[in-house]
Amino acid sequence: MLKRIIYLFMIVAMPLLAFGDASLNAQVKKGNEQYAKGQYKEAITTYQKIVDDGHMSALVYFNLGNAYFKNNDVPSALLYYEKAHKLSPGDKDINFNIQFANQKTTDKVEAPVEFFITRWWHSFILRFSLTTLAVISILLMITGFALLVVYRFTNSVGIKKASFYSALLIIFLGLGSMFTADRQQQYFDGHHGAIIFSNSVNVKSAPNPMAKNLFLIHDGTKVEVMDNNNGWMRVKLANGSEGWINASDAKEI
Amino acid sequence: MKIKLSILTLLLFCSTLAFAQVKFVATVDRTTVGAGEIFEINFSINANGERFAPPTFTGFQVVGGPNVSNSVSMINGVTTASMGYGYALVANKEGDFTIGPASIVSGGRTYSSAPIKIKVVKGSGSNNQGSGQQQQQQRGSEPDERNMQRGRVKDISKALFLKTSVDKSTVYLGQQIMMNLRLYTRVPIVNGEPEKIPDLNSFYSQEIKNNNPNAQWRTEILNGVRYNVTDIKKTILFPEHEGDITIEPAIMNFVIRQQAASSSGDPFDAFFGGYEDVKYRIKGTPVVIHVKPLPMAGKPADFTGAVGKFNIAASLDKNDIKANDAINYQLKVSGSGNLKLLKPISPSFPPDFEKYDPKVTDTITENENGASGSRRYTYLLIPRHQGDYTIDPIKFSYFNPATGKYVTLTTRAFPVKVAKGTGDNSNVTAFSGAGKQDVKVLSNDIRYIKTGSELNEVGSDFYDSGLYYFLLILGPLGFAGALVYGKWRDKNNADVVGTKSRKAGRVAAKHLAIAKQRLAANDIKAFYEDLFRGLYGYLSDKLNIPYADLNREKIADELKARSLDESLINEMLDTLDMCEMARYAPVSGISGQQVFDKAQTMINNIESKI
Repeated sequence: MLKRIIYLFMIVAMPLLAFGDASLNAQVKKGNEQYAKGQYKEAITTYQKIVDDGHMSALVYFNLGNAYFKNNDVPSALLYYEKAHKLSPGDKDINFNIQFANQKTTDKVEAPVEFFITRWWHSFILRFSLTTLAVISILLMITGFALLVVYRFTNSVGIKKASFYSALLIIFLGLGSMFTADRQQQYFDGHHGAIIFSNSVNVKSAPNPMAKNLFLIHDGTKVEVMDNNNGWMRVKLANGSEGWINASDAKEI
Repeated sequence: MKIKLSILTLLLFCSTLAFAQVKFVATVDRTTVGAGEIFEINFSINANGERFAPPTFTGFQVVGGPNVSNSVSMINGVTTASMGYGYALVANKEGDFTIGPASIVSGGRTYSSAPIKIKVVKGSGSNNQGSGQQQQQQRGSEPDERNMQRGRVKDISKALFLKTSVDKSTVYLGQQIMMNLRLYTRVPIVNGEPEKIPDLNSFYSQEIKNNNPNAQWRTEILNGVRYNVTDIKKTILFPEHEGDITIEPAIMNFVIRQQAASSSGDPFDAFFGGYEDVKYRIKGTPVVIHVKPLPMAGKPADFTGAVGKFNIAASLDKNDIKANDAINYQLKVSGSGNLKLLKPISPSFPPDFEKYDPKVTDTITENENGASGSRRYTYLLIPRHQGDYTIDPIKFSYFNPATGKYVTLTTRAFPVKVAKGTGDNSNVTAFSGAGKQDVKVLSNDIRYIKTGSELNEVGSDFYDSGLYYFLLILGPLGFAGALVYGKWRDKNNADVVGTKSRKAGRVAAKHLAIAKQRLAANDIKAFYEDLFRGLYGYLSDKLNIPYADLNREKIADELKARSLDESLINEMLDTLDMCEMARYAPVSGISGQQVFDKAQTMINNIESKI
C-alpha cells in the first residue's frame, strides 16, 4: 500500500516540477546578471525572449517587470507584475512592487474600501498559487482516502480510531483546498484585468469613436475587462466607473 | 451805481442828436458756413431807423432774433446813434445762397443793405437728427446767453424740459441702444437736482462716463427754437427680455431765475436785480422700446446671445513644449455689441491639458456710438503628458442686427507637440501624480529581482486539467476499490465453519484412505485407530468442535441439533464405539471391510444432510 502512495506522489509531482532545461536557466541567469549591472534594456530583451518562448514563470515575469520599471516603462512593468501576481498571488515582493509602480501612474483611482472580511478572504484565497493549491488538494485527498483504507483493513482498534479521525480531517482540509483553488480561479476570472498603455485614453460611453467621452485615464492604470467587442473593450475602474475603450489602448493581463 | 448815473446822463443828451451820414449795412460773421451751423447776420444803421424790413432768408432758417440793439453815444457834443438787428441763421441745405437786401427808413429816407452771398458747405457731423432739430457743434461749459429767453417766461414747460432720446426704438434682444437724457432750457438755471432717474430694470445698462464734472452745454435748435442743451445721462442699454419696454420718465427739480413779476418790461429791472428764483419740477416723457426676439431661423447651436458685430482671433504662444510646461492660449473677441454680456467661451481643449479659468481682460469703451472694444480670454494650459495634441477650432456665433442674420466665426486649429517632461524622468522619489504623496518617501525602490536561477516553471494550466481531476478522483476511487476488495474478502472468509465443514469430507476421505491402506495391509489395529481418528477429525471439522472437546455425548447433541436421523446418529455412535473397542480387543461378527464401508456411507449421509 505504501509503495502505491509513493508512486502516486511521483505521478502528481513530476509534471509540476518540470525543471527547465539548462539553456533556459542560463538565459534567466544572463538576464539577472544584466539587471544587476544596470543594463535594463538588455535584461528586458533577455527576459522577454523567455516569455515569448511561451514559458510562464512568476520569477521571469517579476524580473521582467522590474527591468521595465527601471527603464521607466511603468505600464509594461505593471503588466508583467500583474502576470506574476496571477501566477503567484501570495508573493509579497510582487505585491509590493505592484503597489510601488502604481504610485508612479497618473490616475488616482480610489477603490472603495473592502469590508474587512472580504479583504481577509481575498488575501486568504490568494495566499497560494493555483497550482500549489491544486497539488495540496490532490495530496490531501489521496492521503485522506489512504488513511480511510488503513482504517478499513487494520485490526488494531487504536490505529482504526486514529486513522479514521485523521482521515476525516485531512479529507476536509483537501476539500477546503479545492474550494480555495476554485475561489481563486473565480477571482481571477472575475477580475480579468488589463493595463492601459496609451498615454491618455478617453473612455467612451459606447463602442463608437463618436460616442461621448465619459472620463479620461492614463497609461499604467489597471482596468477590469468586462467585455470584448469588435476591437472595443468594456472596462471598469476600481472605483466602479465603466466605459468603452479601444482594445489597442490596453493590454490584457 | 456809477454805470446807472452815466447812462442817465447819456439819455439826457439824447435830444441834441445830430445826424451824420447814414449807413445801413448787413454783415455776417462768416460767408462760408457748414450746413446746420449757426451763423449770425447783423443789419446795422448808424442812425435811428424805423420800419425795418428783414429780407426773406430763403434757404435759411431763423433760429434766433431779431435781436434789436440801440446805442447812443455822445462824444464831444457829437451824438451818434446806431441800431442793429441781429439774426441767427441756420443753413438747411448746401449750396450758394444770397440773402436779399433789408430795408429801413431813417429820416424819411429808405435805405437798403447790400445782398450777401453765403456759401453753405457740407456740415461737419451729427446734424440733422430728427425732424427740425439741428444742433450746433460748438460746445461750451457755460450755457449760451444768446439762447436765453428774455423777459418773463410765460410757459416754463416750453422753455425747460427733459427729453429722453434713444437712437433706436425697435431693436433685437440684446442689441445695444443709446439712451440720452437731455435737458433743454431757455431759462437760466440756478440749481437743479434729479428727483428720479429712470430705473432701467429690463436692461443691462452701461453708463457712459463723463469725465468732466461740469455740465457741457451746447446749443441745439428744436423746432426752430434755440435751446441750451446738456446731457444729464448717457447710457447704453442692452434689452434683456422681449416685448415693449417703457423707460419711465425722469423727474428733476430745478430752481430757475426769472424776472420778477412786478417789473413789467422795465429794462432797468434786469440791471437792478429785478428777478426771482422759482422752483420748478419737470418730468420727461416716457419712451417705449420695442424689443424683438432673435429669429429662430438659422440660429446656430452654439449661439450664446452675442448681438452686435464681432471678430474673433485665437493665438497660442508656444506649440512645441515639454510636458508640465505652461502655454497660453489667447482668444480675442473684438467688435461692438454686448461684449460685457458674453458668456465665457469654453474651448474644448484636449482633456489631458490642465486648464485653468481664463483671465478675462476687457478693453471696452463706451461712447456715443455704443460699446465697442475687445474682450481677451487668456487660458493657461499645462499639458501633463507627452503626445501630439490638437486644440480644436473654436466656433463663435453672434447675431448681427444690422443684417438680421447669424454669423458664425471659426478660429484656426493649433497643433501642439508635447515632449516628455523633465519631471517624468527623475528618479523614483519624484511622483508625477499630483497630490498622491501623502507620505513623504525620501528614498524607496522596487524590490530586487528574484535571483533564483532555478526556473521553476509552473504549469499554470494544471489546475483545471484532466490530470488534476484524475488525481483528485484517485483517492476516492482507491478507497472504493479497497472497500469492494474488503467486502469480497470478508464474504469468503466470514464463514470459517462452512469452510471447515466443506473441508471435512475431504479430511475424512483422507483419513479413511489411510485406514484403507491399513486394511489392505491387514493391520487391523492400526486400521481401526486410523478409522477412529478419521471419523473424529471429520466430526470436529464438520461440527466445529475443537478436537480436544470432542466426546461421545457432544457429538450426539450436535448431530441432534442439526436434526440428523436418530438411526444415523446411533449408527455413528456405534461405529465410534466399535472402533474404540477394536483398538483394544479384536472385533467379531463384522469384517474390517464392512466397517470401512459403513463409515464411508455414514460420512456420505452426513455430507448430504448437513
